[in-house]
Amino acid sequence: MMKLLKITSLLLMVLWLSACSMGQMVARSSVSILDGAVDAMNRETDLVLAESAIPANLKLMEGLIAEDPGNTDLRTYAAQGFYGYAFGFTELDDARRASALYQRGFDHGVSALQEQGLKIDLQNSHPDKIKNAANKLSNKSVPALFWTASNWGKQIDLNRDDPTRLAQMSSVEALMQRVTELQPDYYYGSAHLFYGVYYGSRSPMFGGDFKQSELNFNRARAVSDSKLLIIDVLQAEYLERQRLNQENFHRLLTGVIETPVGSFPEMELVNQIARERARFLLEKEGEWF
Amino acid sequence: MNHSLLRIITLITGLLLASNLYAKAEYTLKFATLAPAGTTWMNLLEEWAQTVKTQSNGRLVFKFYPGGVQGDEPDVLKKMRFNQLQGSAFSGHGIGQIYSPARVMELPFLFDTFDEIDHVRNQLMPEFEQGFHDNGYELLGWMEIGFVHMFSKEPIHSIKEMKSHRVWLWQGDPLGKAFFDASGVSPVPLSIIDVYTSLSTGLIDTVYSTPLATIAMQWHTKTRYVSDIALTNAIGGLIVTRKFFDKLPADLKKLLQTTGKETGEKLIAATREDNDKSVAELKKRGLTFIPPGDGMSKPELLLIRDKAAAELMRSNYIPKSLFDRTSQMLQKFRSTQSSAKAIMAN
Repeated sequence: MMKLLKITSLLLMVLWLSACSMGQMVARSSVSILDGAVDAMNRETDLVLAESAIPANLKLMEGLIAEDPGNTDLRTYAAQGFYGYAFGFTELDDARRASALYQRGFDHGVSALQEQGLKIDLQNSHPDKIKNAANKLSNKSVPALFWTASNWGKQIDLNRDDPTRLAQMSSVEALMQRVTELQPDYYYGSAHLFYGVYYGSRSPMFGGDFKQSELNFNRARAVSDSKLLIIDVLQAEYLERQRLNQENFHRLLTGVIETPVGSFPEMELVNQIARERARFLLEKEGEWF
Repeated sequence: MNHSLLRIITLITGLLLASNLYAKAEYTLKFATLAPAGTTWMNLLEEWAQTVKTQSNGRLVFKFYPGGVQGDEPDVLKKMRFNQLQGSAFSGHGIGQIYSPARVMELPFLFDTFDEIDHVRNQLMPEFEQGFHDNGYELLGWMEIGFVHMFSKEPIHSIKEMKSHRVWLWQGDPLGKAFFDASGVSPVPLSIIDVYTSLSTGLIDTVYSTPLATIAMQWHTKTRYVSDIALTNAIGGLIVTRKFFDKLPADLKKLLQTTGKETGEKLIAATREDNDKSVAELKKRGLTFIPPGDGMSKPELLLIRDKAAAELMRSNYIPKSLFDRTSQMLQKFRSTQSSAKAIMAN
């Protein structure tokens, strides 16, 4: 009996190995390690260390993806990673490079969504068609939806001189809409944050809506108990600049800088990036108001 | 001369140059525009500001308010009158409130080609500049928003069909109103701010705009059809108040005028290119361009144009003499072009 069991196990192992290469096995088993790595990175308070470490992690992820291209977890982590690196360490110094990094993040996100059943050409489809396709996705697609839309939104933001990009804005919203339907508190309510920027970054003439923007920033605050400082930074950068409210702009940003480090250990890296961005934006105050 | 002395002189000269270049600005031009930051328009305006700053050694600097942060054009104009702002890039809507005769360039179905527009514009420019000057403003550069098309939820083949639709009119625009009156269309007057929402709710189902502006305002996601024929070519201008301009010393006045004119030309070229790209993008996204149908022949459209022009001339929004001269210039240019073509063909 034992012998039969051993033979069966061996046969099963051989079958599994033949269906799944060694590279794929390594890639799949690495996902749980990446969970821990992402958590550790989110807790990092040293921006220099984070900036040096993230590129290596991204390349590692891309290496693993090369072994297992259909791995949606890896693709989603890559989408998140490229977004984080572009937003946190590249965009303010080199918009062109950041745009290319967001594009890579978007491509990974799209691959994940395709694996999960979103089989349409996102960049060239009508928003209604995207909405219908996204409606078929379930909760497990929320991370891929969120990071794909986030990368795409920033891509458009950094390429406003390109009509092709501008034409895609409503499509991004169609994806994010699905996130708010499925899991509005995903990543500390960041879909609300997206809508805060979406409505706050444009004049009403171009589809902006300051009330909606403020409402969404407040919704995001409620999810993180006001501990996620990037909310205040983005409200200042987009909504307060657009509605020309210098007092709020200054108050929000100085508030961010004055918040002690360690106030939100699980998301300290994002908060450190927020502080850095707040300093950068305060330098622009005289120019913008 | 030893090396140390040379170094010190170089250092002092460098410091002097730097302090001259970054000296506190004597004049700050607060300039508002509806163009959002990062767009081709705003990039070119920023390039203009940089040129002025460098060439004036920092004496004249711009402070921009992009993306409509200072409000719609009437709000901006009000702020310019109170000297809270000194300059703006206006479309025909705003220009009409400063020097309405310039909108002769926007009469419906007037121009067929960019060559015609450029020819007439160059002829009329001194007159326009004088007109702005006499009304308390300086026209530094001319711009274009582009050819304006109808965008609709349903296909519209003729003016007759348009009458059964809920067509938007930019509230308070005499030229738009004159066109719809002449066409027998009863439009729905709305602020431009309410157009996107009103397309969603169905309050309106047809709007007019340039391809690029339609994309920028995301109206293309609410409409499916575009008129092949353009209603007009929308104009724009780079304008400053005389209250500001007259205080400038002669060299800075000249600098602002020269560079403003150059920037206007660059903006025109960029806008034409972006509108072409936008047409291609709209087609790629499945919007259908509808060729003109019954009642849309050239003579029939010109009848509408003349009727609209007559209404605007009655109120002197556009003086009759200017309209007549514009028509003559255009006729002359067209016949010259035809003769040239005939010679080439022979």
